Amino acid sequence: MADTSDATQKPIQVKLVLLGEAAVGKSSVVMRFVNNEFQANKEPTIGAAFLTQKCRLEDRVLRYEIWDTAGQERFHSLAPMYYRNAQAAVVVYDITKAASLEKAKSWVKELQRQANPNIVIALAGNKLDLVTGQASTPGTSAAASSADDEDEADDATATPGETEEEAGSESLRQVPKDEAMAYATEAGLLFTEISAKTGEGIVELFTDIAKKIPIEHILASRGAAAGGAANANRAPAVNLNETSDPKNACAC
Amino acid sequence: MATISTHLRNFKEPTKEQAQRLFFSLPPNPPPEDVGPTDYRFEINAVLMLNEGQEDSYAGKLYLLPPYLCFVSLDRRSVKMTMPLSAIRRVERVNHGRAGVFELGLMLWHGMRLNIQLTALRSTADAFCANLRDALKIQLDLGRMKQVKQFVKTCYSEVLIPVSNPEADNEREDGSIMTEGGDGNALAKTTYHGGLGLTFKFPGDAKKLREGSKLKLWTTYLRAHGRNLTLLRYPHCTRLVQVGLPNRLRGELWETLSGSIFLRFSNPGVYEKILRDNAGKTSTSTEEIEKDLNRSLPEYSGYQDEKGIATLRRVLTAYSWKNPELGYCQAMNILTAALLIYMSEEQAFWLLEVLCDRLLPGYYSPSMYGTLLDQRVFESLVQRCLPMIHDHFHDVDVQLSVASLPWFLSLFINSMPMIFAFRIVDCFFCMGPKVLFQVGYVSLSSILKINGEKLLSIQDDGAFISLMREYFASLGESAHPKATDPRSRAIIKFQELLLVAFREFSIINDEMIENERRRYRGEIVHSIESFAKRAAIRNLSSFGRFSKDQIGLIYDNLFKALVVAPPPPPVMTKRLIPGTDDEMERPETRIELKTFRIFLAEIATWARDEYVVSNGFQERVERRVAEHEFVDRLFFFWDINHNGALSFQDLVNGLDGIMFNDLMSSIEWFFTLHDKDQDGWLTKDEVLVLSESLLFIFRSEVGDAYLGTVSRFMTNAFEYGDALLPEEGEKMSPIPNEVSANTELAPSLPSNQPYLNRATFRMVVLADPLLEAFFDVDLPRSFKLQPVEDSSAARGQTGLGLLGNVGGFLSSFVTDDNKKIFNSFVDDMGKAIGKHQVTVRPSINQHERNLALQEPLKETTRHLQRLRSQSSLTTPTSSTPSGVSASPMSSQSNLEKAPLVPPTSAGLKPAPVLPSPFTDVSPLAKANAAAAAVMENRQAFAIDEAGDEDDLDDSDLAELSGDDEGMMAEVDAFLEQNDASVGAR
Ligand SMILES: Nc1nc2c(ncn2[C@@H]2O[C@H](COP(=O)(O)OP(=O)(O)O)[C@@H](O)[C@H]2O)c(=O)[nH]1
Ligand SMILES: [Mg+2]
Repeated sequence: MADTSDATQKPIQVKLVLLGEAAVGKSSVVMRFVNNEFQANKEPTIGAAFLTQKCRLEDRVLRYEIWDTAGQERFHSLAPMYYRNAQAAVVVYDITKAASLEKAKSWVKELQRQANPNIVIALAGNKLDLVTGQASTPGTSAAASSADDEDEADDATATPGETEEEAGSESLRQVPKDEAMAYATEAGLLFTEISAKTGEGIVELFTDIAKKIPIEHILASRGAAAGGAANANRAPAVNLNETSDPKNACAC
Repeated sequence: MATISTHLRNFKEPTKEQAQRLFFSLPPNPPPEDVGPTDYRFEINAVLMLNEGQEDSYAGKLYLLPPYLCFVSLDRRSVKMTMPLSAIRRVERVNHGRAGVFELGLMLWHGMRLNIQLTALRSTADAFCANLRDALKIQLDLGRMKQVKQFVKTCYSEVLIPVSNPEADNEREDGSIMTEGGDGNALAKTTYHGGLGLTFKFPGDAKKLREGSKLKLWTTYLRAHGRNLTLLRYPHCTRLVQVGLPNRLRGELWETLSGSIFLRFSNPGVYEKILRDNAGKTSTSTEEIEKDLNRSLPEYSGYQDEKGIATLRRVLTAYSWKNPELGYCQAMNILTAALLIYMSEEQAFWLLEVLCDRLLPGYYSPSMYGTLLDQRVFESLVQRCLPMIHDHFHDVDVQLSVASLPWFLSLFINSMPMIFAFRIVDCFFCMGPKVLFQVGYVSLSSILKINGEKLLSIQDDGAFISLMREYFASLGESAHPKATDPRSRAIIKFQELLLVAFREFSIINDEMIENERRRYRGEIVHSIESFAKRAAIRNLSSFGRFSKDQIGLIYDNLFKALVVAPPPPPVMTKRLIPGTDDEMERPETRIELKTFRIFLAEIATWARDEYVVSNGFQERVERRVAEHEFVDRLFFFWDINHNGALSFQDLVNGLDGIMFNDLMSSIEWFFTLHDKDQDGWLTKDEVLVLSESLLFIFRSEVGDAYLGTVSRFMTNAFEYGDALLPEEGEKMSPIPNEVSANTELAPSLPSNQPYLNRATFRMVVLADPLLEAFFDVDLPRSFKLQPVEDSSAARGQTGLGLLGNVGGFLSSFVTDDNKKIFNSFVDDMGKAIGKHQVTVRPSINQHERNLALQEPLKETTRHLQRLRSQSSLTTPTSSTPSGVSASPMSSQSNLEKAPLVPPTSAGLKPAPVLPSPFTDVSPLAKANAAAAAVMENRQAFAIDEAGDEDDLDDSDLAELSGDDEGMMAEVDAFLEQNDASVGAR
């Protein structure tokens, strides 16, 4: 609906991959972003699930091609197939599970050594709803911006306050926000805490990534090498936008 | 964090017998009691005839593979039989009155009669009959014959064909013939196994699927050709499978066609027992299973119900306990969910075993190497046969596997509408894994045909996935919507897909796939292992002072040691204390002492014995791992967290602690290594142990300069130690004061009391130029990081050039045994011509210094022993106090004699001739092995060549390509006969 004014602007494809330990909520994050819903995951993932979602950024429209990878450890050796040529990666951990941050760090290392050198990596601590009301005070302001999720029944849980809940939830947090943020800063990553359940921070996460993506660079390299480092000498003039169809752009 | 797995190195090509078992879908390891005390296996040419001419006679080969009798026609595809011996009720010699014809008549459980002419020499035929008789007797004695009647009741086909032969009807469950009625009509009470479909309905519209007619056709076939345990496969059987199995019979036919029915038959009660034995237990696998239960065919109503979910949980869990090394892999949930719609838990359990073990080998293993391998094979297939697609994908860097991986991993279930996927599964169980390649291949080529423009303008993985999805979603549509002939119009895309796959692509056969797998196996293993290596290196928290390349070499040596001495399998049930978060999905690999010795022997020159063997044909160095307390000491020294095992990081840290040392830090290192309680003091015992360590390190040095040095070291150490003791006022040892006071009486100091401090030790070392040089240069340099020879294709003996250029990384590894045999063979020849010679290579002083004095090692060792007998040191590791204390004076006097022993030999010491570990190998076996090693080099099979061959064996379907319209006619006939609309969805 909102996009018609920009109809001339064809969306720019951005390949984004989600990585992280099993059950940290990768698929839920994607579901929230793509369908704006939270439900028990019904989509079986063999290797990786593939979804798309458009994202508006000022005067541009991005079309995210999202690869939601299987979390099981033995699929790890398949991951390069999905993160190769990716322009962005969201590495998810679960803030109520310390070990999941370690796994996330290991993914970040792998991406930094093996993936596209210009890849934008975001570290996202999920399941913020489980510790809401505590420690996340700077983050809760972001909750307001996810207000587009109007009719979400779960919204109530996102509102900070109830002291009773605070006491109980405090113990659930295993990864202090400071610690993760310090690591992210040091490693040069975007960082945020999110909740796929309430929607908090999800849209911002993808928008922030979009802002950091070197769009001009993508456009230039697309024309030159069609995204592949292996065939830099083949340079077909590719019309990148031929297949895209802007009618189901999202409202983000 | 990393697990280092070496299991891929254990791959072995199947033996001839294993290959036969694979071909006839037999369980890989028959129970020994079924096989019998002697080897009854037999192969004989034969002609098979069913029910006096019900089907054509076929010439072929009959195999006795107890407890089974198998037959395959000469073309290896027309007729195939796998018959449990226990289903054979009577064997008789048929007398035709014709000379030279040896014919047997076999009565089978389901009343079929097989006539088998043995086309062999009379004596061979007699021998076969004798073996068959004995093998049958074993089955009878084991009571297997009785089990048949009970077992077949679990099969739906018994309900379908209740009218049975008098043979079976009159037989009691104990196998004896009934004389009176009574338990007569047992079959009426048949309780057959079935799947969730019986409760929750089968997917698809039964009428559109022409369920009734299919059942009728199968009833006819099964009545005449046997069923469940006794099914004989004639070409008609395959055709019936290709038009889709009827829902009610599907589960049984899946287990019959795949052979899993034999596992279920020979393992009664095992499934239930596994569940019982593991009730309430959890593991990483059970947790992973739990997460996936709700996402396994959720669109099927049975899985929206706790009953269905519980069924799925039990089967997956039971399998994870049955095969803990594999455990659970995502995609198995989808497969199992599909199976359970059509079969019982127990049936699905055994079919899962066949899938993981035989049909999709390595697909779900922790490294998933089978998946990666078949993806590589598929890619090469596309590269050769659909170069347009391959080249385009290469240009735009799209990877085929992003789409094709799930096809193979979950047999197209989830990739296309369920009812179509199940028909592919039908064919898969009937014809084997080649079906996946054929269907995948034809799907791509169909898209190229239908929508080539779009396919060839794809720019990224996402677009490719979308296009494939679109195609699979349209499989129910007419393949020729514009055709005028209503019959062509009625053919749906899915039917055409199968037709083309089986008619035109029978060149994609088992043999070709096996050859292709063989060709790429090394590459895949290498890429998995180097991926694991990179991950392990990445996950190190510190490299120490090593470069990345050096770290890589440390890893390679560790890996090599792990191959030789694998660590014990990881413990499965870790979740004993819930909520402990440090447990990783797969525990970090740590090596034990046994493996460490091998690792160190690769790196430290003194941790191995090197024998230079020359036999006139070649000169080679044989390494033996040295076992010594010093090596063990190092192991525990590096095990700073007291795990009793060392991680990769521990090894890196340990090596970093010595390899970059200068004189002072080397001395310090060596001192600390021997200072067990880390108090900065060595006890007298420890001084002796340290001396012994030095002797161990110097044991292979030429001449006695080093030995003299050790003698002098001990002399000096005790002299200085004693001399310095009383004056050492500022001793920093943690000993209580009163003990210190006692030590004033130096000569009677107990041997377990602090005695020599760092400074003194240093002084003693620096007093000897050779020791100084040793600590300054030789010790740090005795650790060498060298490329592991195994990983290079160019390794091997250059002497005769025979094994020099074995192709590929893995194949060179596989021939290791052959190489040993070869070496021993050449050695024997060398001995025969008197040129065999073995010498020991020194480890420290390899070429650098010339030493004048020579002395056999044993002299000094004897001194040490004498010395030790006077000390409290009873065993090298002992550090416990004992009553007797060594007198430094007497030690000294003994030691002083040591250097005075005159030189006795010069040059390399000849070592005793090594006993060959292969003395039991006959020269013929050795020659064969050498030949086998050469064969490793042969050219791999090429698909392109395959295409040119007219007659390809081993394809059930090639039969169809023979009469071009075979399948088409079949489908048409079927459609007409049943007057049903097409496009059943
Ligand atoms: N409370 C809470 N639970 C979540 C959140 N995101 C995911 N989950 C739950 O965590 C589990 C794993 O989620 P899933 O998306 O399948 O994780 P994945 O394996 O990383 O894809 C599911 O039970 C989700 O319901 C969240 O933000 N808050
Ligand atoms: Mg997921």
